[in-house]
Amino acid sequence: MRTWMLMYRKELLEMARNYKWIWIPCVFVLLGVMQPLTSHLMPQIIDAAGGLPEGAVIEIPPPVPSVVLLETLNNFGLIGVLVIVLSSMSIVSGERNSGVAGMVLVRPVRFLSYITAKWAGAMTLVTCSLLLGSLSAWYYTELLIGDLSLLDTLYGSLLYLLWFAVILALVVFFSATLKGAGPAAFLSLALVLALSLLTGMLPAWMTWSPARLTAHAASLLTEGQLLDLFWLNILVGVTMIVVLLVSAAALFRNRPLVD
Amino acid sequence: MKEALESIPIGAIVPFIVLNVILIVVALIDLFRSEQTRGPRWMWILIIVFLQLVGPVSYFIVGRRREA
Repeated sequence: MRTWMLMYRKELLEMARNYKWIWIPCVFVLLGVMQPLTSHLMPQIIDAAGGLPEGAVIEIPPPVPSVVLLETLNNFGLIGVLVIVLSSMSIVSGERNSGVAGMVLVRPVRFLSYITAKWAGAMTLVTCSLLLGSLSAWYYTELLIGDLSLLDTLYGSLLYLLWFAVILALVVFFSATLKGAGPAAFLSLALVLALSLLTGMLPAWMTWSPARLTAHAASLLTEGQLLDLFWLNILVGVTMIVVLLVSAAALFRNRPLVD
Repeated sequence: MKEALESIPIGAIVPFIVLNVILIVVALIDLFRSEQTRGPRWMWILIIVFLQLVGPVSYFIVGRRREA
């Protein structure tokens, strides 16, 4: 456990040296701020873009607070995921190529703790960023649009957080098994995209999919209740994380550290 | 347009600007401190300063060269 804490702290330190602790939270907060601002300014934006044709009667409905927050979470799910995957694509392979992994792993360190420390370190950063982003989105929505429950905001963000945890486990897995950062990022993004699309298109077949966590968040915010099979999705998500991390460690152990 | 902008409390605009400035400054500091970048340095300066949000982020993801 002490070595695990040591490696975990090393991860946090390395992310601080790479300025990740500054720029990733900044990106999430800006994403969180952007949606309430654009919703608030939408009539003016339409005007500035040329406006509606003369005489057209189109009522732009006033933005609903919970929908604005939902759109923000959607942005986190698209742009946020892109940023997370691209910024951590070389999380294992980069250390392997630079020789740091070799230096760490000649010591009596378990491969599993090496991998899980990496995942936990990245998760810490993602958790802080996502919560900061959601809180600023909540604050701006409250300020510019209307009342919004803070508790619902937090629940919705926690559901997204579990989905992000699955995605990060995928990135760690591919980064540990593939040599390059590019293929790892591409495969993770492709799988996440495929899972999200299939879950959206074949809801009857994909009831188990952890991508449904985002749908639960949407339903919670707009209708105030979760969809069916909530616990199944949580269970599958957690199982996927465990399986991915354990098999990443097992596959990583079987590869020579130096080519 | 002016009225709409004035309807936003100044407290809401300041953090937005400050965060963008922080991103730009941090990216520039890193750019000047690193010995090598992927692609010419002046190009990254332009990208970081003129592309709001996207510029600094793409520098951090693409432009930084990992020191071995």
